[in-house]
Amino acid sequence: MGRTLEKLDSINRGELSAVDNVWQALERIEKLDKKINSFIELNSNAVAEAEAVHRRLQRGEKVGKLEGLVIGVKSNLNVTGLRATCASRTLDNYVSTYDADVVKRVRAAGGIVIGVNNMDEFACGSSGETSAFGPTDNPAAPGHIPGGSSSGGGAAIAAGLCDLCLGTDTGGSIRNPASHCGVVGVKPTYGLVPRQGLIDLGMSLDQIGSIAPDVVGAALLLETIAGKTQNECVMLDVDKARYLDRLGDGVKGMRVGVSQKFRDLTDPAVMGVIDKSVEKLREFGAEIVDVQLPNLERGLTAYYLIVSVEFFSGTRKFDGRKYGKRIEDVCGEEVLRRIMRGRYISQKEYRGKFYQRALQVRTLVRQELMAALEKVDVIVGPTVPKLPHRLGAKLTPMEMYAYDYLTIPANLAGICAGVVKAGDVGGIPVGVQAQGKILGESDMFRVMHVLEAKA
Amino acid sequence: MKVKIGLEVHQQIATERKFYCNCPTNYQDVPPNTNVCPICTGMPGAKPLSPNERAVNAAIEIAVMLGCKVITGQTVYIQRKHYDYPDLPSGYQRTSLPIASEGTLEGVRIREVHLEEDPGQYNPVAGTADYNRSGVPLVEIVTEPDMKSPEEARRFLRLLTRVLEYTGKVRPEAGGAMRADVNISLEGGGRVEVKNVNSVKGAYRALKFEIIRQRDKIKRGETVVRETRAYLESQMTTVPMRAKETEEDYRYIPDPDIFPLVLEKERVDRITAGMAEAPHIREERLIKQYGIPKPAAEVIVSERGLADLYEAVAKDVDPKLAATWFRTKLKKVLNYMKLQAADVKFTPGQLAGLLRMVKTKKVTPEQGELVLREIVKKPAEPEELLVKLGLIPLKRSELTKAISGTITTNPVAVKDYRAGKTKALEFLTGKVMGQTKGKADPRAVRKILIRRLKSRHRTRK
Repeated sequence: MGRTLEKLDSINRGELSAVDNVWQALERIEKLDKKINSFIELNSNAVAEAEAVHRRLQRGEKVGKLEGLVIGVKSNLNVTGLRATCASRTLDNYVSTYDADVVKRVRAAGGIVIGVNNMDEFACGSSGETSAFGPTDNPAAPGHIPGGSSSGGGAAIAAGLCDLCLGTDTGGSIRNPASHCGVVGVKPTYGLVPRQGLIDLGMSLDQIGSIAPDVVGAALLLETIAGKTQNECVMLDVDKARYLDRLGDGVKGMRVGVSQKFRDLTDPAVMGVIDKSVEKLREFGAEIVDVQLPNLERGLTAYYLIVSVEFFSGTRKFDGRKYGKRIEDVCGEEVLRRIMRGRYISQKEYRGKFYQRALQVRTLVRQELMAALEKVDVIVGPTVPKLPHRLGAKLTPMEMYAYDYLTIPANLAGICAGVVKAGDVGGIPVGVQAQGKILGESDMFRVMHVLEAKA
Repeated sequence: MKVKIGLEVHQQIATERKFYCNCPTNYQDVPPNTNVCPICTGMPGAKPLSPNERAVNAAIEIAVMLGCKVITGQTVYIQRKHYDYPDLPSGYQRTSLPIASEGTLEGVRIREVHLEEDPGQYNPVAGTADYNRSGVPLVEIVTEPDMKSPEEARRFLRLLTRVLEYTGKVRPEAGGAMRADVNISLEGGGRVEVKNVNSVKGAYRALKFEIIRQRDKIKRGETVVRETRAYLESQMTTVPMRAKETEEDYRYIPDPDIFPLVLEKERVDRITAGMAEAPHIREERLIKQYGIPKPAAEVIVSERGLADLYEAVAKDVDPKLAATWFRTKLKKVLNYMKLQAADVKFTPGQLAGLLRMVKTKKVTPEQGELVLREIVKKPAEPEELLVKLGLIPLKRSELTKAISGTITTNPVAVKDYRAGKTKALEFLTGKVMGQTKGKADPRAVRKILIRRLKSRHRTRK
C-alpha cells in the first residue's frame, strides 16, 4: 500500500490521531535528528494545530487530502511565526510574518507543519554542506552527503522523521537529494505551483515541489499545492491538478526516451542501475526510443550564469537595513561566489558576452528537450552523474557543480521531472529521473509508479 | 550661445491600488508604513502581482495624447534597475521598456513613454524609511533635447501638465507627484543632468542657474564636464552629485517574476476611442469651430472641466459672448472661490440662461456678474436669482422718473457738468443708481443723462 496511504488510512479509520502522528514525529526527530541535522527549527504550535485537525476529523468534517499528515518545510519558504533563514546567518533573526501560498494550501488540506528543514545556504549547493546550521547526514548512506539543496527534506523523509516535505528545485535541489537519499522527489512544471513566499535563488528557474517516501505521497502533495492563484503573476493557467486517478495506469504503449548523452556523462556504476530501470519499463510494455540531446551538458554553464545574475538581483534586499545583516558580510563562500559572479557578469559592458549568451544557450537546451518530448512521452535517465561523496571531502566548485549536469536541463526548459529510487551501488541509493512535458506530470507519475513497484 | 534642453518627467498615476500589490496609494493621508504589505516592502519571498492594468491603461492614454505610437503586439519587458538606497526595499526599481515612442507636443518631440514604480520615502535626518509610497505607479515621459531656453522648457512643462490633467489619470500636482530630470547643454559644453526638480518653477530656476553657470565656465575657457547635479530648492542652485551616485551601473535585467507586457492594438484603440481630446488639439478646434480669439481659447482649455463647460454653454448662446465671459468673469469668480471648473455644481443650462439675459440686455453685465457669483455659490435658475438679489429690471418710466428727480434735486452738479466738469456726470449717475437701488444700467443712465443735460443746454440757448 505504501507508507503514505497506510498513514492516511490509519488516521482516517481513527487508529492514529493527528495529534499522535505529530507526537510520533517529534519523538523520532528528538531521537534521531541530533545526528542527521535535517531540521533547523520545530513548530512549537504543531500539537495544537494537530488537535484542531483532530477535532475537525472527529466532528466528521471534510478536512482535505493531507488530513493529519506531518509536513516538513524547507527553510526558504515562509511559515508564519517560524524563522525562514534559508540556513544563512543573513536571515537568522527573520521571523516570517506570512505563510507562503504552498504552506497555506498544505494547512488548508489538513497538513501540519512540523518544522523547518535544513538546506544549503540560500539553496546554493548540491551537497547539504553549506548550511550555516551545519551539514546534514544521509540516513540512507550514513557519512555521505544527502545531496542538496533540499538536504533536510531528503534526509528527513529517508529517516522517517515526517510524512512529506516541501522542497524547492532550481537546478536539481529536490531531485538530487531524493536520488542520494533513496526517496521520491518531484520538480513540477515551471509555473504550476505558486512561488509566493519562496525566497529567491533563480526566479526564472525556482519551483516548489514534493519530497516523499513514495510516489503516491509525492503526487498527493503536488495535487495539494498545484494550481493558479491571483496572488502571483508568473503562473500557468491550471485550475486543479489530478494525478492519483491515473497513477496505476501503467506504461503500456507509452513512449519512453533514452539518450546516449546520459551514458556519456554518467558514472558507469550509476548507469548500470538506470539501465535496469529502463529494462523494467520495456518489460511493462513501454516503447523505448532514442532521443538526441547534443547540447545537454552546455546547460550547466548557462545555468550557473543565469542563476548567479538572478540571485544577485534577488539578494539586493538583504542590504543589512531591514533584517540585521548584509548578506555579503555574513554569508558562506558559495553564496558569496554566486553574488560576485552575478554582479560581475551583469555589468553593462559584459551584457552581450555572458548573460545574453547564457539565455541563448538556455533557449537551445529548451528547444532540444522540447523536440525530444515531441517524439516521446517521458525521458528516462539518471538523476545525478555520480555517487555522493563523503561528508567533509573537499571538492572544487566545478566538481560540485558537476552533480547538476542532468538535473539542470529540466529547470532551463521549465518541464517537469521526478525521481524515484532505482537501486543502489554498494548500499548507496541511486535515483532514476523521469522528465515529462510541460504539464506532463500525469505521465511522469505513471512511469515513476511503475519504476517504484517492487518486482 | 546655443542651448539644448531635454526633460524626463515623472508623474504619479492616480490609481487606487499600487502597481504590483493591492495596497492603497493614498500615502500622504495615513501614518507611515501603514499602506504596506510583504510585496511593497520587499519581504523575503514576496512576489509581485500582475501589473495594475489601470496604471498601464493610463500610461497608454497619456502616450496617445502626446501623439506617440504605442508599441503593440510585442513584448515589453519590465526590468529591474538595481541601486542601493534605503527607500528601495528590494534594492531594485521596476521600470518598463518604452511602451510608446515618437510623439510630439507643440514642437517638442517626445522620445518615449514608459512605466515605473515609486520608491518609498527616506528621511536621512531621522534615518527612517516610510514605504507607503513604495510601489505607487509612475509614468515617465522623455523628450528629445528640443527646447532652447528655460522659458521654452517652462512652457512645455505647463502644456504637459495640462495634458496630464486632461487624462484625469494622474495625481494632482502636489506633494511631489510630478518630478523632472532636466538635461541641458550649451554649445561647446558637455550635457549636464539636473535631478531633484519637483515643480515647473523649480525646472525653470534650475535651468536659469545652469545657463549662467555653464556660460561663465565657457567664457573663462573652462570645460563644462558631463555630469549629474542636484537642484537645491532652498537656494535655487545646483550642486554636483557624488560620483558614486552617478556612475552607477544599474545592471538591468528583465524581472523574472513578471510576464512582459504585450499591448494589443485593440486595447490601444479602445483607450483612444474613450479618451478626452488633448488640450492643445482642443484649443485649435475651439478657435476654428466657435470663431473665438486664441487668448480666450487658451483660458478655456486650461482645465478640462472648464472646456467641457464652455462647449456645453456655447451650444445655446453666442459662443463669442460666452468665451469673453469664461475668460474674464467666470475665471475670476472661480479663482476667487478657489474652485476648479470640475467642482462647480451649477448646470451649463443655468449659465447659458444668464448669458442669454446678458445678450438680450435683460440684465447688465454688472448685474450678470452678481448673478454669476450666486450661481457658483448656490446654484439656481438665473431668473430666480434675479428676484432674490432684487435685480428685477427697472421699468422705463421708473428710470425716467429717477433721472428727472436727480436732475431736479442736484442743481449744483448739473451746473458743474454744464460748465465742463465731466466728473459731475459720474456723481449724478451714482445718485440715479442709488435711487434705483442699483437696478439701473449705469451705461444707459449715463447716456440718458448726457442727452437730457445737453438738450436743456440747447433750449436755453
